[in-house]
Amino acid sequence: MSVAPKMPKCWRPETKAHKFCPGCGHGLVLKALGEAIDELGIQERTVFGCDIGCSLLAWDFFNIDTVQTHHGRTTPVITGIKRANEDVIGIAYMGDGGGYAIGSQHLVNAATRNEKITVILVNNTNYGMTGGQMAPTTLPNQKTETSPYGRDVEATGNPTQGPEMVAAITPDTAYVARGTVANVRQLKKFMKRALENQISGNGFSFVEVLSGCPTNWRTNAAETWKFIEETMPQYFKIGEIKVPGEKKEG
Amino acid sequence: MVDLDLVEPFYTLRPLKRQLEETGIDVIAWETRETMGLGEAGSILKPEMKWSLKRETDVIMDIGYGVEGAKTLNLVEDALNNKDLKIFAVVNTSRPMTASVKDIVEYVSGLGKVDGLVNNTHLGDETDWEIVEEGAKIVTEAAKQLQIPVVYTAVDEKLRTAGKTTDSQGNPIKYLHRYMPRSFW
Amino acid sequence: MADKPIEGEKRVFMTGNEVVAWAALAAGAEIMYGYPITPQNEIMHYWTRLAPKYGRKFLQTEDEISAGFTTIGGVLAGRRAFTATSGPGNTLMQEPMSMAEMMRIPVVQVVTQRGGPSTATVIYSQQEVTMTCFGGNGEGARIVYSTSTHQELFDYTIKAFNTAWKYRFPTHILGDGYQSKMRESLTMYDPASRGIEMVPTEPYVAKGGVPGIDRDPNHLRNTYNTEDELYDVVMGIMSDWEKYAPEIAEYQEFDAEDAEVLIVAHGVVTRAVQAAVKELRAQGKKVGHFRPVTLRPLAEEQLRKRAENAKVVLVVESAYGQLCKIIANSLYGLTTPIKKVLKPGVGVTAEEVVEEVSKLL
Repeated sequence: MSVAPKMPKCWRPETKAHKFCPGCGHGLVLKALGEAIDELGIQERTVFGCDIGCSLLAWDFFNIDTVQTHHGRTTPVITGIKRANEDVIGIAYMGDGGGYAIGSQHLVNAATRNEKITVILVNNTNYGMTGGQMAPTTLPNQKTETSPYGRDVEATGNPTQGPEMVAAITPDTAYVARGTVANVRQLKKFMKRALENQISGNGFSFVEVLSGCPTNWRTNAAETWKFIEETMPQYFKIGEIKVPGEKKEG
Repeated sequence: MVDLDLVEPFYTLRPLKRQLEETGIDVIAWETRETMGLGEAGSILKPEMKWSLKRETDVIMDIGYGVEGAKTLNLVEDALNNKDLKIFAVVNTSRPMTASVKDIVEYVSGLGKVDGLVNNTHLGDETDWEIVEEGAKIVTEAAKQLQIPVVYTAVDEKLRTAGKTTDSQGNPIKYLHRYMPRSFW
Repeated sequence: MADKPIEGEKRVFMTGNEVVAWAALAAGAEIMYGYPITPQNEIMHYWTRLAPKYGRKFLQTEDEISAGFTTIGGVLAGRRAFTATSGPGNTLMQEPMSMAEMMRIPVVQVVTQRGGPSTATVIYSQQEVTMTCFGGNGEGARIVYSTSTHQELFDYTIKAFNTAWKYRFPTHILGDGYQSKMRESLTMYDPASRGIEMVPTEPYVAKGGVPGIDRDPNHLRNTYNTEDELYDVVMGIMSDWEKYAPEIAEYQEFDAEDAEVLIVAHGVVTRAVQAAVKELRAQGKKVGHFRPVTLRPLAEEQLRKRAENAKVVLVVESAYGQLCKIIANSLYGLTTPIKKVLKPGVGVTAEEVVEEVSKLL
């Protein structure tokens, strides 16, 4: 007899097991998010928005009202809901392509306007659902389907420093952090603080999460974790980047 | 005559420009075909507009409505110090934003220097004397509260009544010939 | 804070953009999302001046993609929400409009047509017919009212909110730069004073209660796994569309019954055509006019009936055949020939219509 792993209360059991690839980081991110929602007691008020791309697979993940929209447009859909109903806790969930490429203008402007929403962006250095193309976050020399000889930074630029950019354009009342699926406890803390910043009406909150995509990386478990734990942090610094009125961790 | 209405660039009126010029009026306004992306990307202030008050002649400037319209005068050389320049607020009480005494007083108070009101109350082709006089009452009361005169009441030539030179409030009447219906629509 | 934007009725004189802002207020619209583009701008200008006085809201977004998607968000939150745009902005807005079409989200979009293709002119056109009716990757399950007077702009802006929320199709007011900018008199009214009841709105998300405990969560999506799944969804949408189309479709006729020449025109062009028909009838010529008020859905049966009895159908529009495509499609199978007066991006006068008709008689 096997014992089912403990799930967050706000997960929807009917839609589990979830549909992410084996070894995908999304499950861990959504677990941390689910526990943060449970602990803050906001399941009833939360509206979850997801992009297309792999984050789409979260569309029926929670016992939470959810809207799946077009690629990159999660930020404005959640912004529209929040502007129309301030009691809602709005979470926009997306990947690196959705947030930093096709939806970057929405991220930049929602951050600039200090929208009272929470954006959670999963960075796995590639476009997962479409088959592993180069993303804004692809590392220098990293091979993808559209950078088969490795990302040439001369030709295609450096990996997007998302949280650093968001921190630079938001006022002091915003919360910005970068977590990792390699430290779920810390990640949950970041997510709670991000959501608390929205609950208190303080301002915009943004959490980027370093995550793995073994399917497209073509990596086994050990290589996947090595990439997440050792390679990615060389380019993407883990920790809180902007905390309203508090000491930063990390 | 200077078209300085930058608030609502009103391109459908521009066919009237040539007609006005034929009557001997010097009209400073863009011709639609001269304006590149008018109201969007084009430069909307013509150099002649900026220097129009330096002309040795009678100058009539049409600025846009509201605070943004009044600010247009900041763009005109000498407009703020020119002692001869009189600024009149043209009020149509058929426009909801200037329909009541309170609205008019609030509106005109926000404009800066205003020397007088013009009662231009009308409903296009449907205008009758009742509409004009109702407007005259409201505008006159607003002018009293603002402590400025009603310079005149404007009335469509079609309503001309022999011997009638003042409205019910004692304001002088100017009969107008409307060119509006000859604009494109 | 003032209660009602308009008490009872009031005869007024104003620009079309101002009319739209007042109509949206009178209809109880709660929030507008928008991005600047000419000739739509003054709708936002008046809305931002008036809305706070009545507790209504506004958000200026970073582009029209965002304006459309935030409007969708506002509707999902259960608000009477709308946006307005034109030309290239309407092009960007086709993405959110296709989501609204797929998910039956009752957004209201006001389109003030300008010249095209591309940036073109900011003045006037009827070249956004195809895009507004059929844009995006969809089947055209959209309701499109093409207005011709300021009174109609007021009436149909109010009606658009009700049609949208009653049938749950995205609903569009198709105006143009002339209507936006010209001044005209109309009667504004409080809808209640005319017995018009506003169709109540309801939230799609955050409906109260804990999802999964008190009720099922509302999981809204527009992505499907298989062709069959999608087929069922789209056929569901289109079967509702077919069912409701006859009660949504609106049209006007002017001396159409015995017309030998039947002129078809929409929007502001109908004004020129109506004047032309009056003049031609005075000359004893059997000329009539069919004016679709809704371009989607079209009053097909009524149009076919008139076209069948006419000797010739004359389509007049300020575009290169966008209306004509819709008309020709619905007249398929009839033998009545279709003639065209196509003036992309240019206004049409009554004199021109008289002249064109005289060539046919």
